[in-house]
Amino acid sequence: DKGITMLIGMSIAYLASFLGLALAWNHWRKRHRKDDHE
Amino acid sequence: MGYFTNLDIFWAAAYLLLMVGGAFFFYRLGRRSESDFFLAGRGLPWWLPASSVFSTHTATDTPMWIAGVIYANGLRGLWYTFFTAWTAIGAFVSARIFRRSLAYTQAEWQTQRFGGLGAELLRGWMAGWQVFMNMFILGWVGIAMGKVCALAFGWPVWVGLVLPSVITAFYTLAAGYWGVVMGDFLQGIVAVFAIVIVTLVGLAAAGGPEAVTSNITALGQQWRLDAFAFSGWFTGDFPIAWWLTMLVISVIGGFGMGTSLDWYVEAQRIQSAKSVRDATYGLWAGGAVTLIRNGFWAAGILAFFSMLPHITDAAQYELGWFRMGFELLPVGLVGVFFGAVLAIHLSTISSHMNLGALYFTRDIYQRYLRPEATEKQLVWVGRWSTFALLIGSFFYGLMMQEITRWLIFALWLMMAGIWLPNILQVVWWRFNAWGYLAGWMANLGMSWLVVWILPEFGVLPELPDYLQFWLLMALGAVVFVPVTLLTRPENMDRLVRYYVMTRPLGRWGPVHREAVRRGLLAEAPVQHGAMPSEGRRPLIRRAWTPEQADAWTREDWIAVVLSPLVFAALMLGVTKLLLLQPGGLLLLLGAVGGAGVIYWVIDPKLRAVSIEYEAKQAAYAEQLEQRLRWQEEGGR
Repeated sequence: DKGITMLIGMSIAYLASFLGLALAWNHWRKRHRKDDHE
Repeated sequence: MGYFTNLDIFWAAAYLLLMVGGAFFFYRLGRRSESDFFLAGRGLPWWLPASSVFSTHTATDTPMWIAGVIYANGLRGLWYTFFTAWTAIGAFVSARIFRRSLAYTQAEWQTQRFGGLGAELLRGWMAGWQVFMNMFILGWVGIAMGKVCALAFGWPVWVGLVLPSVITAFYTLAAGYWGVVMGDFLQGIVAVFAIVIVTLVGLAAAGGPEAVTSNITALGQQWRLDAFAFSGWFTGDFPIAWWLTMLVISVIGGFGMGTSLDWYVEAQRIQSAKSVRDATYGLWAGGAVTLIRNGFWAAGILAFFSMLPHITDAAQYELGWFRMGFELLPVGLVGVFFGAVLAIHLSTISSHMNLGALYFTRDIYQRYLRPEATEKQLVWVGRWSTFALLIGSFFYGLMMQEITRWLIFALWLMMAGIWLPNILQVVWWRFNAWGYLAGWMANLGMSWLVVWILPEFGVLPELPDYLQFWLLMALGAVVFVPVTLLTRPENMDRLVRYYVMTRPLGRWGPVHREAVRRGLLAEAPVQHGAMPSEGRRPLIRRAWTPEQADAWTREDWIAVVLSPLVFAALMLGVTKLLLLQPGGLLLLLGAVGGAGVIYWVIDPKLRAVSIEYEAKQAAYAEQLEQRLRWQEEGGR
């Protein structure tokens, strides 16, 4: 169904962007945890 | 294989070998003569960025959707192609600001403008989105090639989608980054010749310009010959409201960064220009040549229409320009024509494969997953991500049946909710990373929902495209305005540093005053026009001191107002002249005169900005380098 295809298309876009966001958040957290111990 | 003789196959193969060989030759030459450094540094004269602006606006899908809009709408369809006019104001505003930031990519610029956790999250989000976006573009260009191969060889569409793209992937991995850039430059030149020749051959086959116009008039469809044949303010198939929306999106978009999809590719080319002046002229000339090309194409497609006026299936008439090439060119030239089409395809696909793979390996894998990865590992990740991009692009390609509708979505509607944030980040000091990120997160889903998904499920009626734009823009503002105002502005130290370096246009009052207070800037804020301290100034200033040239003055506004008018006159003038319509020559002369006035008014100022900035550039670049290194080592 065309509607389902479009939903998948949108989901891939969101998935890729949120994956980037989650990695950035993880990176930030790790870096600032290191700062606390110094 | 109806169109091809053995001679054609020979010429197509010979031509392709020449193109690929040429790109490799430049690549090897580049490595030997250190011009790699020359290209990667900031040393390009204005005409090289200009040709690459033109090349990135020319892909396999371009002749298809331009044929689609001209065949369906007559010369009114030219306005669909006017989105390139973001370069009209962009050359004089955002290109100057971006070139002075010394950033190589939009992501890098954002790390200067925004800071803290918001900026880090934004960077991750944008990297992920860029991977998706390049996959989407690869699918879109790939399906266009699938249709061309179906026309030329009778292959099923999916074969033409998969086969050329897979071959290109191997070429991309072999040629390297600068091989691809040089290939892009070469195909830009070839594309100009192909477009001009096929247009002239098409006009001749239709019996000449007079026959084209009289045939269309005989059909009772004179409106096709008038680019301003509006159907009412809000009614009909070409309302004035649509035209005004298009002008706002493209022309006013020149004040922002990222308001056009092409910005993300062009940003790197703007930065590779050797001075602010070269960056401005490069972007402007690239936009102008692209619009002149559209004028040629429109005349050719009208000739096609006058010969075959009764095609109703969009998928058929979108191939009009390719059909003229295959059917009207003499034996032998058909092969060269197909070779040229393949070369254009090769360069577009390889550019986006490179970009997508680059974002994945550098901004995601190396930055977040494996900072200690070796060069060899990164190369392998680049290879695998290239093929992953390819597989994903096949899904998107097969999804897009009507190229023109998807074009409108990708160019206007997918970015409608962040069109305003893209301008605000340049012109408003208070706009921050949180507002920008919130706008992005909301817009990504809303654009797909409003345009494709909700109408498909019958939840929302299918609105006209210009209303979809304003609706998405309003929905975006409902999210990013409160988020911006409820979160803190960016750190003042960062804003002052950015302001002193780039001297942006717009509402930067508090930052300017802070910079003056810290003694980083000498003068009081300059409003458009005269400084209070120096009495009268000439109407058009011809001699500039560095301080005067840094401010935005009436000379800039003259260029900003005239530039879009010159672009429109160029595009319409070329088409009218080719069709021998009255006023064509006059419009072209007006455009050349207008460009001359812009040059006369703005050139002394651009020279002053360039000379003054070049003196500071080395120190800025060094500071930037140190700051980036400090960030990498865990500072903030």
